[in-house]
Amino acid sequence: MNPITRRNLLRTAGVVAVTGAVAGTVTAPASQAAPLRVSSKPNGLFSHGVASGDPLPDGVLLWTRITPTPEATPGSGIGPDASVKWEVALDAGFRRVVTRGATATGAFRDHTVKAEPRGLQPATTYWYRFSLGKSISPVGRTRTAPVAGAAVDRLRIGVVSCANLQAGWFSSYRHLAARGDLDLVLHLGDYLYEYAPGEYQAREIVVRPHDPAVEMTVLEHYRRRHAQYKTDPDLQALHAVAPFVVTWDDHEFANDAWSDGAENHTEGVEGTWADRRTASQQAYAEWMPVRYENGGDLYRRLSFGSLASISMLDLRSYRSQQAGNVDPAISSPDRTITGDAQMTWLLDGLTAEDVQWKLVGNPVMITPVRFPSTLSTSEIGAMQELLGTTTIDGVPYNVDQWDGYTADRSRVLKHLRDNGVTDTVFLTGDIHSGWACDVPADPLTYPASGNSVATELVCTSVTSDNLDDILNVPPRTASIAVEAAFRANNPHVKYLDFDSHGYSVLDVTPSGVRMDWYVLSERMDRSATSRISTSWQVAAGTQRVTPATGGVL
Amino acid sequence: MSDSTRRQFLRVTAAGSAAVVLSGAPGAAWARKPAPAAAGRTRAYVLVVDGCKPGEITAALTPRLAQLRAEGTTFPTARSLPVMETIPNHVMMMTGARPDRTGVPANKIFDRAEAVQRDLDRPSDLRFITLLEQLNGTGRTTGTVLSKEYLYGIFGERATYRWEPAPIVPVSGHAPDAATMDALIAMVDSADPDFVFANLGDVDRMGHSDLTGTTLEVARTAALASTDLQVGRFVDRLKATGKWDSSVVLVLADHSMDWSIPTNVISVDRILSVRSDLSSQTQIAQNGGADLLYWVGDAAVKDAALAEIRALVLVHPGVLAVNTPTQLRLGPEAGDLVATCRAGWRFSDPYVVSNPIPGNHGHPATEPIPFFVSGGSPRVVRGKVSSEPARTIDVAPTVGALFGIKAPQGGYDGTARMVAFNA
Repeated sequence: MNPITRRNLLRTAGVVAVTGAVAGTVTAPASQAAPLRVSSKPNGLFSHGVASGDPLPDGVLLWTRITPTPEATPGSGIGPDASVKWEVALDAGFRRVVTRGATATGAFRDHTVKAEPRGLQPATTYWYRFSLGKSISPVGRTRTAPVAGAAVDRLRIGVVSCANLQAGWFSSYRHLAARGDLDLVLHLGDYLYEYAPGEYQAREIVVRPHDPAVEMTVLEHYRRRHAQYKTDPDLQALHAVAPFVVTWDDHEFANDAWSDGAENHTEGVEGTWADRRTASQQAYAEWMPVRYENGGDLYRRLSFGSLASISMLDLRSYRSQQAGNVDPAISSPDRTITGDAQMTWLLDGLTAEDVQWKLVGNPVMITPVRFPSTLSTSEIGAMQELLGTTTIDGVPYNVDQWDGYTADRSRVLKHLRDNGVTDTVFLTGDIHSGWACDVPADPLTYPASGNSVATELVCTSVTSDNLDDILNVPPRTASIAVEAAFRANNPHVKYLDFDSHGYSVLDVTPSGVRMDWYVLSERMDRSATSRISTSWQVAAGTQRVTPATGGVL
Repeated sequence: MSDSTRRQFLRVTAAGSAAVVLSGAPGAAWARKPAPAAAGRTRAYVLVVDGCKPGEITAALTPRLAQLRAEGTTFPTARSLPVMETIPNHVMMMTGARPDRTGVPANKIFDRAEAVQRDLDRPSDLRFITLLEQLNGTGRTTGTVLSKEYLYGIFGERATYRWEPAPIVPVSGHAPDAATMDALIAMVDSADPDFVFANLGDVDRMGHSDLTGTTLEVARTAALASTDLQVGRFVDRLKATGKWDSSVVLVLADHSMDWSIPTNVISVDRILSVRSDLSSQTQIAQNGGADLLYWVGDAAVKDAALAEIRALVLVHPGVLAVNTPTQLRLGPEAGDLVATCRAGWRFSDPYVVSNPIPGNHGHPATEPIPFFVSGGSPRVVRGKVSSEPARTIDVAPTVGALFGIKAPQGGYDGTARMVAFNA
């Protein structure tokens, strides 16, 4: 284990600051409740923290990992089986425990624990902890979802993606954790990266080397890498204060993954893709607070009263190979990014009439993006690196996004338009930049008609390189002209920031959805500050993004 | 009154010296003096801005409507119900019941008994008790001010007071909003009913006929601004006559609007022309974005024939869905199959030139509608936005609850949107 992260962990694990609601009601946002402070003793047995995820009206998934013996390190495959107790309470002091139970774990699942208490009250804040023998885990706070159909005044969601540990510190997680007002955290993928030290970091600087010091390709690697990320104190702090709703993108497996391979996978030399994918999915199921077990479907839908649903997409497991120079069939109806079953499920969810906001956790951008013809060679090269673009007939396309699977995108957008679906918002990560876009059914007529069928809000990366990093220039210099060129070529793109690192906060109310983009002072600074950069909103029923005014809520 | 059995007429002079003729039920009173400020009295008005899209109500274009919306409770997820046409949705508003209970599924049907295609514009077509009759039954008075001839037709003499639309614009069959508003104001001034159901037809009619509809929507924009002025006149009049503080105003549309280009036309008759055995035995009632198909041939082969028709129609790229009336809760009057088109398309039967109108509705793309409860009454909850899925069918339960009216036999299919009212 990395001694530095270990030390940081011990320094911060002693006091898990938990602020927020006490048994909040449906209508009271977590932010209005009195702050609380919860203490727990540092404990090597639970050194990977606690987490919760996928809240339902009557339950939430709880997660931890035990290290029952010093040898039972992550990925080691050794260590005794154990029955880990857990309890859920209405108060941080565990005087009002509402349910408890025990879950078996062992080396067979890398000593990770997933518990699923049921029978909880909807829209209620709970505290939870685990114990083994006399050792008690840090305390986590979580919150159940409102019951189906219930009126909900507000939902506040932290939105993050693309956290490369080698590229910096997870200050975004720290700042989100400190807010204390989040109902949940949406992680849109690239929660961890597969690369070895030196392969992908902050420009040329490895801020924190990956463990193991190789590209992860087998189960032991994936488990150890997950474990390393879970020792990050900022990530632990965020997991401890709010339930996560996660999906994977490619780096949970390997760069530009598709159903039968990946750009960053060499069949044979790195084993078979099938084995590698199984290993990565097993580690993901073990180490993430998600209702997913290996072999199942990750895509799923969560509902929050009549206010919103969140459809979490899996755009890696079923997709056809990315188009390339040899196969420039980006519009072929034979190619898919979702797979048939997931597409049917998605379309059904979008036309469901029991919720207002149809939020889609969308790992890669769906807004059509036309590349400016005025970019310099170095800018095109940087785009290629940042966005994974492929040049087809001299025109760059981001073939890893929905732009590379236009038949599937057309199905989704036609479905929205044909059925008069309102208030669909795609929440997206992947491309290490902040965007606010209208999603036109027809980009060619959009400039005249302004017709938009949905909106897309893209959060930037927690740490991963973006345009200024790739061009190796200071932030907000060379990128500004590039952003302007993109907006000019794509009038439906209203906001674009190719440089900043940080996180977003999404406020969902019946009258509108609003995203605040927060940017970090410096990703390589352990104690980076954050400030709000911009805010955009989608008023109910409009399918349009507009600048938000009136300051931060 | 000396003769209480005869229908009464009242001619009043409206703004601009135009004459407005109102009729009243036998025994109905015409209160000409300012209304007494009776403690606890609630007046309710339902204003249907026919064919209005929710996004068309903006502070810039329609300031009065936007202000009403901001000052009341609005339902941004509100939708029209199948078939997204004027007559069935007005009937759903006034009954709270689905077409399989009211007998009114569309504007136009094929009448099997009479073997003709016709509008559902007869009072006897509506087989369900309306909010108007329910309110009348409690001793309250009601009014209808409906700009379209077929709406006046189907609601007939159900209200205590009614206005027969005039003057009628040729072809469109509706009275301009200025005339409609003259009538509404005259009715409220003279008879002051407890509840009035009004339809403003200009926005819809300009949507249908606007030949620039696919691009600039110029005429429609003008109609929206004009209709907004008329709504403003009504609000101002309520305020000037001391009625505003007791008034609840529910504004909604009966359906939205979608524009198609001349090449995006679906003719089911033409699709079936390859199979004369099917086409000759099929009647089509065209409702813009929806076609109702009736099998009129041999009952023994009906199921097989409908399956073939369905398959043939579904192949067309402009067709979104082919449902049974049961799936859409439409009842037998809607025939055997209901085809709906995609956004940007329209049906035109029997010929591709039969429906030259670019603006259409009836298909799911035209479901989103504005729906908000406002007014000066202290019962209205101000500045609220609700996620509740309001529907046209919720109007009768909502207004009924305001007046303490009991649900009709078998209950409402709609839901009272009480979130809009203080307890």
